[in-house]
Amino acid sequence: MGIKVKAKLKNGVVSVKSLAKHDMTTYNMMEKKTGNREDANFITHLTASVNGKVVLDASTSQFISKNPIVKFKFKGDFKKGDKVEMNWIDRKGNKDSGKGKIK
Amino acid sequence: MERRNFLSLVGMSAVALTVAPAAVSATDWRADKPDVWHAHTVEDAIQAMYGSTTLIEEGVKLTAPDVAANGGAIPVDFATTVDAKTIAVFQDANPEAAVMVIDINEFSVPQYSIKIKMGKSGTITIVAEGKDGKLYAAKKTLEVALGGCEG
Repeated sequence: MGIKVKAKLKNGVVSVKSLAKHDMTTYNMMEKKTGNREDANFITHLTASVNGKVVLDASTSQFISKNPIVKFKFKGDFKKGDKVEMNWIDRKGNKDSGKGKIK
Repeated sequence: MERRNFLSLVGMSAVALTVAPAAVSATDWRADKPDVWHAHTVEDAIQAMYGSTTLIEEGVKLTAPDVAANGGAIPVDFATTVDAKTIAVFQDANPEAAVMVIDINEFSVPQYSIKIKMGKSGTITIVAEGKDGKLYAAKKTLEVALGGCEG
């Protein structure tokens, strides 16, 4: 488990590539599999912060692919060595997190 | 102080600490606007999210394949040059339309790459909510060879 976070600073902009581990099951998928739509589970909120500042704030649905890869960019008073900390929470309330240093 | 009281105090402060940062900064659009996530059409989802469906098709860039071999992981790149508050992803190939809503703040460089699921061929719509109150959008229709997610 854990979110993999790669962050690179270039020309004042930090580019992040993140990889989360999650099955991201949809309502229809689980209806077929277990007969219960409510078994669906997927990441509902994904965030990233650096030094306590939010740099990504995304609400998500079941239609993000399995083991989601999300790439995003941000700028500000950040430097190499600062840590990008990412967190997700899913529909069932499970949580995971991961960190990556800005290179 | 009794041990029991002390422990409960520690427990309470731990809860306060973990709750506080999320409450200060992040917006949970699923909690704030639940109708967006249940809407079956893109129009209904955009209406629920933004209170309007009038889209100006400029200022937003959307890149996705013309034909997706695997509907389970379709690469979608999107960006906006609009001074925007939020940017959102919708599609019309699945039972519900909403895929993602991202808050844009002073740190954001609004360029994103994600992978999405589409059960069949359809159209992806990206909407950027401008600070001017207008909705800017880009659309792309693509063919899905093998449906990815059974909805």
